[in-house]
Amino acid sequence: MSSYLFKDTVNEYLENLPYSMKSKLFKSPATCLAIYRLLPNLAKFYIMSMVFHEKPVNSRIWDVWVKDSDQGKKLEVEGLRRMKSLNLITEKNNYLVLDEHFRESFRNALVGNDSHHAFGVPCATDENNKTSIDFLDEFATKKWESILHFMVGTELDELPSVGVLSLLKHSGLMEINGDITKRNLTSVNITKEGFSFLLQDVNAQIWTLLLEYLKIAETLNMDSVDVLNFIFMLGSLELGKDYSLEALSETQIKMLEDLRDYGLVYQRKASSKRFYPTRLATTLTSDSTTLRSVSSAMNKAIRSAKQDNEKDVKEEEAQVDFVSGTIIVETNFKLYCYATSPLQIAILNLFVHLKSRFSNLVTGQITRESIQRALKSGIASDQIIAYLEVNAHPQMKKLAQAALNKKIEFESVNGMKASHLSLRNLEIVPSNIVDQIKLWQLELDRIQAFGGYLFKDFKGEVEYKGLLNYAEEIGVLLYKDNANRKFFVTDEGRQQLIDYASRRTKRQKKS
Amino acid sequence: MARVAGALQQSLSLEHNDSDFSSDTSDTSFDSDDTKNPRQKKAKAVSKSFQKIKPQSGFVPDAVSKIFNGTDFSYLKLRPDHVSRPIWIYEAVDKIIIILESFSPLAEQAQDFLITIAEPVSRPSHVHEYRITLHSLYAAVSVGLETEDIIVVLNRFSKVPIADSIINFIRAATKSIGKVKLVLKHNRYFVESPQADILRMLLQDPIIGKLKIDSKDSIKNGDSEQSQNASTTTNGQNNNPSSSNDPNERLLNSVVGETKDAGNGIEDEQDDDNDDDFDKVHSFEIAVESVEDVKRRCLDIDYPVLEEYDFRNDSINANLDIGLKASTKVRPYQEKSLSKMFGNGRARSGIIVLPCGAGKTLVGITAACTIKKSVVVLCTSSVSAVQWRDQFLQWCTIHPDNVSVFTSDSKEIFKGDAGLVVSTYSMVANTRNRSHQSQKVMDFLTSREWGFIILDEVHVVPAEMFRRVITTIKAHAKLGLTATLVREDNKIGDLNFLIGPKLYEANWMDLAQKGHIAKVQCAEVWCPMTSEFYQEYLRQNARKKMLLYVMNPTKFQACQFLIHYHEKRGDKIIVFSDNVYALREYALKLEKHFICGDTPQHERLDILKNFQLNENVNTIFLSKVGDTSIDLPEATCLIQISSHYGSRRQEAQRLGRILRAKRRNDEGFNAFFYSLVSKDTQEMYYSTKRQAFLVDQGYAFKVITHLNGMESLPNLAYSSAKERRELLQDILLKNEELANLEEGDDADDVIGRSANAAKKRRNKAKRTAGSLASHAGGEDMAYVEHGRNRNKELREHSSLMQKLYYKK
Repeated sequence: MSSYLFKDTVNEYLENLPYSMKSKLFKSPATCLAIYRLLPNLAKFYIMSMVFHEKPVNSRIWDVWVKDSDQGKKLEVEGLRRMKSLNLITEKNNYLVLDEHFRESFRNALVGNDSHHAFGVPCATDENNKTSIDFLDEFATKKWESILHFMVGTELDELPSVGVLSLLKHSGLMEINGDITKRNLTSVNITKEGFSFLLQDVNAQIWTLLLEYLKIAETLNMDSVDVLNFIFMLGSLELGKDYSLEALSETQIKMLEDLRDYGLVYQRKASSKRFYPTRLATTLTSDSTTLRSVSSAMNKAIRSAKQDNEKDVKEEEAQVDFVSGTIIVETNFKLYCYATSPLQIAILNLFVHLKSRFSNLVTGQITRESIQRALKSGIASDQIIAYLEVNAHPQMKKLAQAALNKKIEFESVNGMKASHLSLRNLEIVPSNIVDQIKLWQLELDRIQAFGGYLFKDFKGEVEYKGLLNYAEEIGVLLYKDNANRKFFVTDEGRQQLIDYASRRTKRQKKS
Repeated sequence: MARVAGALQQSLSLEHNDSDFSSDTSDTSFDSDDTKNPRQKKAKAVSKSFQKIKPQSGFVPDAVSKIFNGTDFSYLKLRPDHVSRPIWIYEAVDKIIIILESFSPLAEQAQDFLITIAEPVSRPSHVHEYRITLHSLYAAVSVGLETEDIIVVLNRFSKVPIADSIINFIRAATKSIGKVKLVLKHNRYFVESPQADILRMLLQDPIIGKLKIDSKDSIKNGDSEQSQNASTTTNGQNNNPSSSNDPNERLLNSVVGETKDAGNGIEDEQDDDNDDDFDKVHSFEIAVESVEDVKRRCLDIDYPVLEEYDFRNDSINANLDIGLKASTKVRPYQEKSLSKMFGNGRARSGIIVLPCGAGKTLVGITAACTIKKSVVVLCTSSVSAVQWRDQFLQWCTIHPDNVSVFTSDSKEIFKGDAGLVVSTYSMVANTRNRSHQSQKVMDFLTSREWGFIILDEVHVVPAEMFRRVITTIKAHAKLGLTATLVREDNKIGDLNFLIGPKLYEANWMDLAQKGHIAKVQCAEVWCPMTSEFYQEYLRQNARKKMLLYVMNPTKFQACQFLIHYHEKRGDKIIVFSDNVYALREYALKLEKHFICGDTPQHERLDILKNFQLNENVNTIFLSKVGDTSIDLPEATCLIQISSHYGSRRQEAQRLGRILRAKRRNDEGFNAFFYSLVSKDTQEMYYSTKRQAFLVDQGYAFKVITHLNGMESLPNLAYSSAKERRELLQDILLKNEELANLEEGDDADDVIGRSANAAKKRRNKAKRTAGSLASHAGGEDMAYVEHGRNRNKELREHSSLMQKLYYKK
């Protein structure tokens, strides 16, 4: 779980699949389309130019399309590497060939020759009372946010489903103790990974969970190809339409249940013969947006859809402002956040002592206790600082920039070295806050633990002294308490000390 | 009665100018004609504001509402144009908090307004917090704001509709304020009220009723007649605009004439009102000794008395020929603070809070020049008395003959009918037998009526002494000056009725931004205890502990390093230590000069002079005696090695020593303030407490855990384990008495060592009486706790509070 950038993780996952799996995946046009959409722009262009061109292509002709600069070269190399590692192309004597399966499926996807029902089978008949998009949005937001709320420890009326709980546990995002199947939990704690998970945009979050889901699916003998195909297919479905279960494999029907818990699809009843993809699903493979939180993502998507009808442009601008940065941290450890979403408030509540709330603002105080509570539950100080920095209000950035400019100007006037200047960086969050948060973390790390063994209950001073001296001589002694005749030695020292002690007793017996 | 104070006027007119702002809003309270006729619109706007408030039943708690535990106000609907409004306002348990966006275009007007009606809680760079309290509303009303004005303007600035409970609080709190006035006439005190029933109520009060004195002249008639005369003179003056081009007069107008300029339109109306009012003035006399009791009782029964002095119409006291010199420049914030004092052409009693170095003296002098009556200035030491006198002569045109100083060294009486007396609190408050001459001066002080009294550094003077001072000297108007209106005990509250409400409190960061005071980098240097010291620290009693953490060798090294570093940069350094033993040890070891309570006067002067002028003396060590009133504009760096427990005031006062740094306007100049603390000791705890005040003013204390290059400093003290052990042995052998902090009262200053040894002794006795805990750690706690108790107290006997809190 090193990198959470979702594109990398999806791609990494795909790249690491064996070729046999890939070629199976390539049979699905929807999957091919999704893979294509996840590629960098230059690679997309290469694919496009090869898909209807049957002959191998000389790799050198690509060079013409790239500007002769370092950056251009880098893009080209990266594009080719990606395509190769995905087994989309193979290279022979400087000639490139597009994978046959991929070519065929992708062509089908493009020309709409959909014999495989790869893009789902829309229901022929209309349902009696059709489910509206608004309803779907609300459903998806509710489901997804309830998972996130659960992660940040908001008190919920209802716990997420067993499937979600075990997924969170297995993925290492949460530490959950207790009986998951009975939903009888004893303790719930977010982990460091879980916290970075929360800070991602919603698309990345879904991918992270879906990939974790894939891992579990493998252990449950579900066909990963089927699972992947289904996920990719969801990405190309149309919002607001209902699809029939007909074309789905058994694995996929089983998946529906879990996806429903995540809010990716909606079914009126578990036994229903049709399902609706939600916005969370249909935006899976779109790369246009990086969205911060579910509600803002939803709002944004909804708004762009409705833009023509709504005239409320002014408010929207204000809203957009809020999305770009909401948090003000003052040098007196007070925090003000223009937060509207309960989720963001819940996240803040992880490390801030919140005080009051208005419809567009929450106030709070960063205290030693609030930070240490967060640190103890596994969130790192760097993460908190990064969160504050990323979400900093434009005013904070402005002030930091002004301060920096002044500094640079002052230093250049006073003839400081250029190398000195480049070292200066923007201090968006007041440096005393940053330092203090780090110091609070250090405070927790002050105790150094040593594994080892305690020796006590000696027969007498002589024995105690003898063994103690020996331990000291060989340098394994960690702690001694002469008054109570106890001492503590390292792991490695234990055996040596025991050997010595038994030799001693033997010697004593002999004499 | 349509008196509208400066702040309100400003905010109204500014909004008026801002046409964008008022035109695109649907809210009627923004209508621009509001400005022209505030009274008619007011009622409308208020009734409208009531309709807007959604009942609390509209509150739908969501998943995170539980966190806030009753302070979730998300049900308050934002106004459509909330983006352009700067404040939020809410009521939590027993306080009303206002949050202000300082980057909003309207922030400046809002700040002006809020500083009048609320107490600033914190004012860092982006978001400020204020708090509305009974005292703050009292202050607001006493500078001439009216209840409905407060509500309307608040409503105008607020992003959310103001809750009914808040409006009710403001209404109830201000209802009775301003109805009772305390007036000094012919050296006698009268309680006045325009409403007879209120006066009757006061007379029937069990406490106040008894304090009434029967006076010979028929007050009612005589008074109304006199008032009539007075009001006609007012008209005469107003109709006769000052034609002189005298700069003082102009300044006076800018300060005093605020209502005149702003309120020309309502002049006629006001005159009518005045006549009506004066016709109905009713009053009774009280004895001088009972003034305080009456004031306190009036506060308790929610009729706090206002003290105003109509100095322009005072024909009984002789005028003093005093005016500012043409060269004297009054800074904008000084003018603003004075405009609160003279808002309606009369002088109000109150306190003005300005940071050290921001020119408190000049504020006092300008006020004196405005009133132009006999003035008494009381300060904390004979040296500052001399400084005050010099300042008066420097800034204004007063004739030196009219100035006299009354201290242990000089007992003068000015010539002529009116004049200026500068003295110290201890001189005036002295109850012991006086020398013949000083008794003569005292008699002179007590026998006559004074136009104005300036009380310098009000925060340091014990309340007892204050009482005596205020009751012995009869002054029409009182002005308290201070930098830090915080005390670790409850005595700040006393000032409110001894002197008057806080009229103005400056924003430190703002002044620093504008270059009026120096920018300061604050740092807290963490000095780890060496292991030997820490072992002893854990074993020893509280007093020895103090000695150990002060004498921590790492701290010494840090101090040495910082002195070395800053001397090389060309800084002038003051090192502060409350502990005299440490002061001596440090100074001797580092071969620097030091001043403590025992240093003789001439030596002190010598050292200070050298520090100012001698290039080779760049560092001096000062004990507590240097905390206040020592004026060293050369100093640019401050190191604090031992301090008075958790005293926020001391921290702020010490910071004040470098705020007036001469070089403050150099490009990129920063003054430095280091506080050295021994890690993992009590000091850390105190240190956080001490910083609270400054941190709320927007100062950021950077924590330094490691001083780069300290180890490689040549001649670093205590660098070998042997030296450290010797030091430790030394300390352990010392008497624990050495841990005592110097007993010098703040009222004494560096050079002053006022001749009043007896006073000092008394203070000593008083100080040791407190338990060490309450003295030390608890101080801040005690303050907080007491604050709460005070609230309870208020609640118990105050009908207003009862109404507010027991209804719920």
